[in-house]
Amino acid sequence: MSVAQAVAQPVAVSRRLAIRFRPSRVVLNVVLILVALFWMVPTISLLVISFRPEGLYGVSGWWTVFTEPSQLTLQNYQSLLGTGLGTGGILDSLITTALITVPATALVTVIASLAAYSLVFGKWRGRTAVFLVIVGLLVVPVQVALIPVAQLYHAFGNLTGFNPYGTLPGVVIFHVAFGLPFGIFLMRNFYTGIPKDLLEAGRIDGAGEWTLFRRVVLPLGVPAAASLAIFQFIWVWNDLLVGLVFLGGNAHHTLTIFLYSQTRTLAASYWVIATGAMISIIVPLAIFFAFQRYFVRGVLAGAVK
Amino acid sequence: MARVALEELTKRYAGGNLAVDRLNLDIADGEFVCLVGPSGCGKTTALRMIAGLEDITSGRVRIGEKVVNLLPPRDRDIALVFQSYALYPHMSVYDNMAFGLQLRKTPKPQIEKAVKEAARILDLERFLDRKPGQLSGGQRQRVALGRAIVREPAAFLMDEPLSNLDAKLRVQTRAEIARLHQRLEATMIYVTHDQVEAMTMADRIAVINEGLLQQVGTPKELYEQPHNRFVAGFIGSPSMNFVETASHRNGKAELQGEGVNLVLDDAQAARLRDRGLEAVVVGFRPEHLKVGEPGGPGLRVSARIDVVEFLGNDELIHAVSGGRDTVAIVEADARLAVGDTVSLWAEPRHVYLFDPQSEVSLGGA
Repeated sequence: MSVAQAVAQPVAVSRRLAIRFRPSRVVLNVVLILVALFWMVPTISLLVISFRPEGLYGVSGWWTVFTEPSQLTLQNYQSLLGTGLGTGGILDSLITTALITVPATALVTVIASLAAYSLVFGKWRGRTAVFLVIVGLLVVPVQVALIPVAQLYHAFGNLTGFNPYGTLPGVVIFHVAFGLPFGIFLMRNFYTGIPKDLLEAGRIDGAGEWTLFRRVVLPLGVPAAASLAIFQFIWVWNDLLVGLVFLGGNAHHTLTIFLYSQTRTLAASYWVIATGAMISIIVPLAIFFAFQRYFVRGVLAGAVK
Repeated sequence: MARVALEELTKRYAGGNLAVDRLNLDIADGEFVCLVGPSGCGKTTALRMIAGLEDITSGRVRIGEKVVNLLPPRDRDIALVFQSYALYPHMSVYDNMAFGLQLRKTPKPQIEKAVKEAARILDLERFLDRKPGQLSGGQRQRVALGRAIVREPAAFLMDEPLSNLDAKLRVQTRAEIARLHQRLEATMIYVTHDQVEAMTMADRIAVINEGLLQQVGTPKELYEQPHNRFVAGFIGSPSMNFVETASHRNGKAELQGEGVNLVLDDAQAARLRDRGLEAVVVGFRPEHLKVGEPGGPGLRVSARIDVVEFLGNDELIHAVSGGRDTVAIVEADARLAVGDTVSLWAEPRHVYLFDPQSEVSLGGA
């Protein structure tokens, strides 16, 4: 403990005792709650709009719902979901988005974990150089790669007869390729913190590389892998550009394309956008809360010393 | 259980740094050998080469009769206890100990029996379901030992297993490891920088400095007949006093150094004559100094007392003569005070002579 900490401790103790009685504390909390509410206003408005009748949109503000709760209705959801699984409908888009997002997230998490294992615990020359190149790739903007990758897909199609352009695998591969640099960066930095002794202990206990990865490193990397999975999931789920370009003429499109297509030059179906956005948000939110418990810190406590 | 032999074992790092230099050491089946030396002397590197965690530049490691140079750690039938314990934090104590057996496809009931038995020996039965993070340092250390025991390896390797424990726990665990060795009759190779640990536990000690083996022997041999100045200074606590001396030309066999006067006995004088040495380094242990004057041949130190450390029965004295510090342990009732000039002496049999160039002991003592 440093001198500064030692000196600061009695103060910290007295502050902890005083928590309940300090008015400044109350003010602070009120301010924080207000800021949080302010931040949530757009989302709340979208939520309210999605539960108001379509006809009321141009007539009264969404906030009137607080004085007239009778406005609330499930009608928007019924009509939007009522179209069923027809191609181009919202449920079809939801499935398309899931078919892209789930494999793209799983692949990035798995490949990044494996690559990071090799970069941190492997014994080959040039690991640092390879890692630096991968980090360098982080600066490449997606937009720069759209046309070259499309050309690459066509060339691949000419060569093999399967042109990924306009197909779901094509979009997934693109997302995986662009998710990997960050994924590897994140996982490598986390794995660097795993004591080498643990792997050596494993080697002596009789583990090969694959067992070490699966039974020692992977379980310890769960917090990092969970963060990566959540990030990657949200990025891919919310992607519009890549889907728009690479799904091309595909009749099935993603949720973001579905919502985007509701905006027209002179008008927009706001009820569809609001309701669709809510449906779209639910999945990432559910994922976030499901994985949140893996963010628990200090899983390495007790490994060494 | 097996014998372990190191033959001309050498480690040279990519930068050219020679960490271990032609180490030869034969460790008998069931023997407890300590590799001891200052930090960076190569003792841990040697251990890691035995374990298979470090490539061997040249030389051989034999476990049993088999040369294991090219075998991966898992095929060497050894267990290593790490300084950091290196417990798997996501596994329970039980799984930490069982992991090695699980990987070797040992049948479940057999694993359970081995783990339970190890837990009983190490008094860990209550903690089998806990994670390492919920254990104290001493308990973690015992889990690390348990992980090694359940494997029933040909040899136990230990890399400073006590250095992360507090002083009291260290003494306790030291006894526990010694007991464990007697009980398992296992070959143990134990690395430490603490000569007290080595002295108290080992059957034999190998002193290493700068990659080179200095001396191998029982604790008593190393203490009584150190081969050279390094071993003499490293073994024993507090460490030996050294003085550079030159012969005093008055016809008698007498050496003089700063604040020190040594009248040689016949054997010592003969040894000096045989080697044609005029100057030697004289060494004497603090515990062999007594207050007073030697009657006949022997060593005499006269110095001014600088610091007195009360140890209970004894006192540790730091005394200065010129620029040189002499440490002595004397009985507390000698009533010495800081500032006093004191005269200390030691018998000839407690005086060590070293060649000033090679620092090799001239023998005797």
